[in-house]
Amino acid sequence: MKVKVRYVLLFIVPALVLYSLFVVYPLFDSLVLSFYSWKGVGPKNFVGLKNFKEMFFGGFSKEVFNAFFHNIYFFIVASSLELGLGFLIAFLLASKLGGAKVFRTVVYMPNMIPLVIVGFMWNLFLNPQIGLVNSFLKLVGLKSLARPWLGDPATALMSIILVNTWRHLGFYVLVILAAMLNISPDLIEAAYIDGANNWKIASKIIFPLVVPTFRTLLILLFIGSFNVFDMVYAMTGVQAGPFRRTDVLGTVFYRTAFGGLGSAYIDMGLGAAVTVFIFAIVMPLSILYVFLVERRERS
Amino acid sequence: MIRFGKIGKLFSYVFLSIYALIILVPFTMMVLNSFKTMRELFLKPFSLPSKFSPDNFTKAWKFANIGVGYRNSLFVAGVTVLIVATLASMFAYMVSKYEFNFRRTIFLYSMLGLALPARLAVIPIFILLRNMGLTNSLLGLILVYSSVNLPFSIFILKNFIDAVPNELCEAARIDGANVGYIYYRVILPLIKPALSIIAIVTFVNVWNDFFFPLILINDRSKATITLAVSIFFGEYSIQWPLLFAGLTLSIAPTVIMFLIFSRFFIAGMTQGAIK
Repeated sequence: MKVKVRYVLLFIVPALVLYSLFVVYPLFDSLVLSFYSWKGVGPKNFVGLKNFKEMFFGGFSKEVFNAFFHNIYFFIVASSLELGLGFLIAFLLASKLGGAKVFRTVVYMPNMIPLVIVGFMWNLFLNPQIGLVNSFLKLVGLKSLARPWLGDPATALMSIILVNTWRHLGFYVLVILAAMLNISPDLIEAAYIDGANNWKIASKIIFPLVVPTFRTLLILLFIGSFNVFDMVYAMTGVQAGPFRRTDVLGTVFYRTAFGGLGSAYIDMGLGAAVTVFIFAIVMPLSILYVFLVERRERS
Repeated sequence: MIRFGKIGKLFSYVFLSIYALIILVPFTMMVLNSFKTMRELFLKPFSLPSKFSPDNFTKAWKFANIGVGYRNSLFVAGVTVLIVATLASMFAYMVSKYEFNFRRTIFLYSMLGLALPARLAVIPIFILLRNMGLTNSLLGLILVYSSVNLPFSIFILKNFIDAVPNELCEAARIDGANVGYIYYRVILPLIKPALSIIAIVTFVNVWNDFFFPLILINDRSKATITLAVSIFFGEYSIQWPLLFAGLTLSIAPTVIMFLIFSRFFIAGMTQGAIK
């Protein structure tokens, strides 16, 4: 339908202004800021590519790449766990099991809790002296497994990833389940008649048909893995101890831009450079995600 | 669809029950331990508390400023939902139902923010709000959250409005209804389900967020619930039962809401990300 321009303006300008001012402009301004050195107050000095040089080749690069690899590790482990277990649990739930509805509610419950609160809660549970996890291990006679989970460099990051999985798994279960329930029952019926067993049905019919969903979820997991912050903040603090073994780009960024105690690099420009780096990693997949979602919407 | 034999069923139940326990036990322990004394928590970590006294809760409520946190979070999330629902539906309605110059460009522009994490832009947002005198203010948070939640809401609402037959709008127009009237009387009632989806998703996003308050709010009287609990956590690191009580209080409203309306929450949140 045709419409007068003033109506168009009346209806789209408010959203457009807000969105441009607080989303689009800041994203571009981050890029601009990454060419400056700035303490947040006082003069802004244009330094060209110096921040990026420092980030990739200077002393700061050690911190950045350490964190970067933790993000990658986070993505690989978290996505294998969440998609693998998600598929298995969704498959079990796809049968007409009694009580499946109640179970769905339970599974999704952790998703309702703020990440930072989940982190604090598990921080207490994982405490070496009186944390419940160690107490439980002692109770069942596995005392030798008890350890300071978050204080031990060997287990700290894995603990955070597992807690993260605890928080998010329900979401993946339900999304994969929805994809499974979309599959025509006739297809599975026919396979049963042809004598296929559940393993065959899972691997030859259901899995190939939920691959598109996996693809979308993988992209979300990737974007999510490069934005981890709350959980690390709550479990091992902004110093991302022990010895930065749980450091991720999010915590590096926070220390750099907003000054965590003990950071040798405090500069908003350098912080902005870190966000530009994250942005450059995440951007291509974000575009792919929007593209995939839009294509699905059209079909 | 999937059928299990006896053994398959047994395996399913055992596996799912263990998983359910892994989810429910931590919640239960959190609540139980928030009734204990420090000594009791240390000596008998898994037992029921010897008495269910609300002392820890009243203390945690006071020290953690839970009341203030609830109020601020409720205000910020509530106003954000109203702004997002209004602006996004107006925008989506115009883009979906009318022809005008640059329509597609404007829509694609609004979709840019769909998958780009806004927290990457937090330094400029911080500076912008500081220049506007809106750091340490709930209004600042509301503006940021509203903007950040617009692209997704526009996306969902546009899909729903696309599904409303054009004939309906045209018929209303022939009857003399203007653009605003059609929006209010024809479109809005028809997209109520979509509006509730975006309301839930936006509300939960805002209520659960920690990152923006951490950076934008210093003043304790302006702390949202997540920030209030995190300050409290730093200060009372010795008093575990108090911490558990504080954590329990901080999540109680959302968990209770979720248990009552779980169907809507689940539909909203899962559709939210994948649609």
